[in-house]
Amino acid sequence: MANLKEIKRKIASVKNTQKTTNAMKLVSSAKLKRTEELAKRSRVYAAKLTELLNEIAIKMQNASAEGIDNIYFKDAKNPKRVDLVFITADKGLCGGFNSQTIKSVNALITEYQSKGAKVRLRAVGRKGVDYYKFNHIELNDEIIGLSAAPDFKTAAAFISDVSESYVNGDTDKVIIIHNGYVNMITQELRMDQVLPIDSANLALEAVSTSELEVEPDDDDTLLNALVKRYIEYTMYYALIDSLAAEHSARMQAMDAATKNAKEMVKELNVKYNKARQEAITTELIEIISGMESMK
Amino acid sequence: MELMKLEIVTPNGVIFDADVKQVTLPGSEGEFGVLANHAAVVSVLDTGVIVIEKPEGEEVAVAINSGYVKVQEEKTLCIVDGAVALSSNDSDLARSLEAAKELLKSTESSAVNIASAVGKVEKVVGKSF
Repeated sequence: MANLKEIKRKIASVKNTQKTTNAMKLVSSAKLKRTEELAKRSRVYAAKLTELLNEIAIKMQNASAEGIDNIYFKDAKNPKRVDLVFITADKGLCGGFNSQTIKSVNALITEYQSKGAKVRLRAVGRKGVDYYKFNHIELNDEIIGLSAAPDFKTAAAFISDVSESYVNGDTDKVIIIHNGYVNMITQELRMDQVLPIDSANLALEAVSTSELEVEPDDDDTLLNALVKRYIEYTMYYALIDSLAAEHSARMQAMDAATKNAKEMVKELNVKYNKARQEAITTELIEIISGMESMK
Repeated sequence: MELMKLEIVTPNGVIFDADVKQVTLPGSEGEFGVLANHAAVVSVLDTGVIVIEKPEGEEVAVAINSGYVKVQEEKTLCIVDGAVALSSNDSDLARSLEAAKELLKSTESSAVNIASAVGKVEKVVGKSF
């Protein structure tokens, strides 16, 4: 009989879990919709900004024979110091979302260290911070709360610290690693080299036919301001992208959990019925054998 | 009169995308007007007001904090950080004005700059703050 009660309790508990996971799934899907909208709107801005940066870079490249003479565009073939900025979620329960990012960060660390470069880590999101703290790996910079609610100002402040240390020569290369949103069921790990800006990646066809005039007159002022904005926005966009991916990952994970719970309830029900039947049969046998002995 | 395409993009989306007669921009080196077939230029924009003249002659003011503009012969593209559009037939003008004022004041631009921007907005919408 104790067994019966136990199974019943288990069923109730699993059903409870199922309710929770289902609710989390619904919350995530609502949040995903909002984040997706945000991402869509900022994508236009990002695209236009990149376009403008491209055009000015092309102009400068055409102007001088040896390519662009600007610190942001210096090519670092053998970086001595690399900064890795990686974005994880503040919360778990989203499948392999966080571990995937951490795994590839670890792979990058090993890769650069084997090349003799010094790696510094800058973590966004509680999960990443916790992981490296637990493993006693030093983090150069950390921020919690930004990945759950991307805010342009905070993101800009965070990344400008990085670009400052790049300008000062403290680092040769900056990479942002995050999980990007592809669609409802797919996330994709993205590694973007933010600094130096890879001039090989710029589209090298001039869009405008006429000579492009730049105001204020010296190119560097405008280009530097533009690059700064570009980097800030890249960071901000990465955060939004990561948030969308997080929600979609959580949605999936919670959907799977709900399904599993459903399956489990079904199994437990069968088990319960069997146990009940068993108890009835035992009782019947007892009664019958008791009657038999009385004859 | 020939028209040109004007696009104003903010981090929160595209706020203006239409054909216009003329646009006046608060460039960092001074205010300048752009008509169709303007020579290509890229400029930094200061805190101020973009004044748009629509094909029907109606004027629209867009208060901005900072940004960039790329002028091409047939198209002008403004990339700005924050913007509030204002026009005299806005049903919710009071709130828009408040928002625009807020935006202009939030920047670290000089007081003169802000005051002149506020004045320009007032002129366009025909009402005072």
